Parts: sequence; structure tokens; C-alpha cells
Amino acid sequence: MIEPYVWWVILAITAATLVTRSGPHLLGAKLRIPPSFDAALRFAPACALAAIIAPDLVFTGEILNLTWENPKWIAGVVAAVIFATSRSMIATIIGGMAAFWILKAWLAG
Amino acid sequence: MSPRTAFRQGVRELMPAAPGVFAWGLVTGVAMVKSGLSVPEAIALSLIAYAGSAQLAALPLMATFAPIWLIFVTAVIVNLRFVVYGVMMRSHLAALSISKRIGLGFLVGDIMFARFSALLEREPHYPQPVAYYFGGACSNWMWWQVSSIIGIVGATGIPLSWGLELAGTLTLVALLVPLCRQWPVLAGATVAAVTSVIAHDLPLRLGLPLGILVGVITAFLVERQRGVA
Repeated sequence: MIEPYVWWVILAITAATLVTRSGPHLLGAKLRIPPSFDAALRFAPACALAAIIAPDLVFTGEILNLTWENPKWIAGVVAAVIFATSRSMIATIIGGMAAFWILKAWLAG
Repeated sequence: MSPRTAFRQGVRELMPAAPGVFAWGLVTGVAMVKSGLSVPEAIALSLIAYAGSAQLAALPLMATFAPIWLIFVTAVIVNLRFVVYGVMMRSHLAALSISKRIGLGFLVGDIMFARFSALLEREPHYPQPVAYYFGGACSNWMWWQVSSIIGIVGATGIPLSWGLELAGTLTLVALLVPLCRQWPVLAGATVAAVTSVIAHDLPLRLGLPLGILVGVITAFLVERQRGVA
């Protein structure tokens, strides 16, 4: 069973994927990216990812929590450090989740 | 060289990255279900949209029933890097029919683009670039879908208290870090993060586009400042 809202979400993401992945192949071969758009291409994805990730990590429920009692943001910092040093996505996921679980167990115990 | 040989080479050269693709797909599958999608919903999203990071980015928006236009805009922005890939690869697909260009363009991914660029760096006059590309794309697609579906189906047996949806966010962290090597991007991303946290209480999750806007402006200003200095 797929809810109507989810169908719309699937459509929206598929459309966004088509526009960005297939779109460039439909443009004329001589077209070049204008410099201002080029800057937006470099900046926007990082800003979008940061704006998505941050609330996910610092809110517990609807409350801003930047203390040790919220293991999520600490796991995020650990993951960033691991990726910056190792360039390995697997190590990042495993290391970040390990930090999360260890802190959670420590807080509970 | 026959197209078949080039296709096989494309498949083969993606293999070293397969564990990474597999882990990412697995995590995305688990995160989709743990964020509230049903198993058929998650499988449909994975098979139809095949969108990796955009899927993950949409999850917190979906969980709060954000408006569809915001999900579309967010997915486009997260996917903007593919526009760069497309522009760079365009000449290699230009001779194909429109439907083939749409199809092959749709199948591009971060890892296979890296492989394809590396090949053309090594051998600028590689005789069968399209077949190589298609081989890498098919391999990437298969690893991704198989691991996503394993994650989706397996997730129902994993307790919510494990907090595995966090793994999806950590995957996005891994995508964000390498983008922040330049000061303007780092400054913009930091401001975007802080803005979206401060503006979190705005309706329709408008804190997200506001954060992106303020972040991009910050990055622009920082770059101009450094250009002048």
C-alpha cells in the first residue's frame, strides 16, 4: 500500500533526478555554464546538505540539545572526522554509529 | 574493441567501489523504513527515483509532511552536482538518440562518474566510452538496488531504539565533508547549518531553503572577499 503523499514524493524526486542527470544531455553541444551559475553549482549542494543534516543531529524531539546527553551530534562530529581522515564511507558509518551507541549505553548505564 | 568487451571492463572497474555502494544502499534502505515509509513505499522510491543522496535528504522532510514543491527543490539542489557531471560527459553521449541520452544520463552516479573520468584521463581516445559507461552504470544500479532492498526488508526486524536512521544522516555527512575543502564552501555550509537550526520552527520546513539561501550568499561574499584580498 502506497499513500498518495508518498507517490507525489516519488514523482517529485524522480523529476528532480531527471532534470539534473538527464537534462544536461539534452542541451545544445555548444552551451557552456555561465560563471554565476557555476558558483551556485559549487556552493548550493554543500549548503543544502549542511542545512538538512544540522537539525537532524541537534534536535532531540523538538528540543535543541547540544549537550553530552544528545549522542547524535557527537556521532556526526565523529563521522566527519573519520571521513576527513580516511575517505571511507564504510568506516564513517560504522565509526559514527559506534560512537552513537557507546554514548547512548554510557548515558543509560 | 567490441562494445561487449568495453561493457565488461566498465563492470569490472566498478567492482573495487562495490562495497561502498553496497553499504550506502543498505543504510539508505534501512533509513527509509525507519523514517516511516512502508516496505512497498520504500521499494518503489528506490526503484523509480534511484536517487541516493536526494532520497536521504527527502526523508526528514517527508516525516513532517513537508510540501511537495519543497521536496522537489531540495532534491534538485542536492542533485546539482549531477549537472556538472552531465555537462562534462555530454560530448561522449551526444551522438546517441534522445531516449538513450535520457536513459544513460539518468543512470549516472558519483562513483561511476569518477571511474569514467579516470578512464578518459588515462585513455582520452578510448574506443567504446558509451559501452564502458553503460557497464559501470548497470553494475552500480544493481549493487545499489540489491543492497537497498536488503536494507528495506531487513529493517522491519531491527528495533527502532537502535537509532539506525542516524546512519542515513551520517552518510550525508560523508558526502558533505569533501565538498568543504575550500573556505567559501565551508563558511557557506556552516552558516546554512546554523540558519536552518535557528529557523527550525518556521512552518513548511522553510528553515531549509532559508538556510540554503543564506549559506550560498555567505559563500559568495567570502569568495569575493578573498578574491579582493
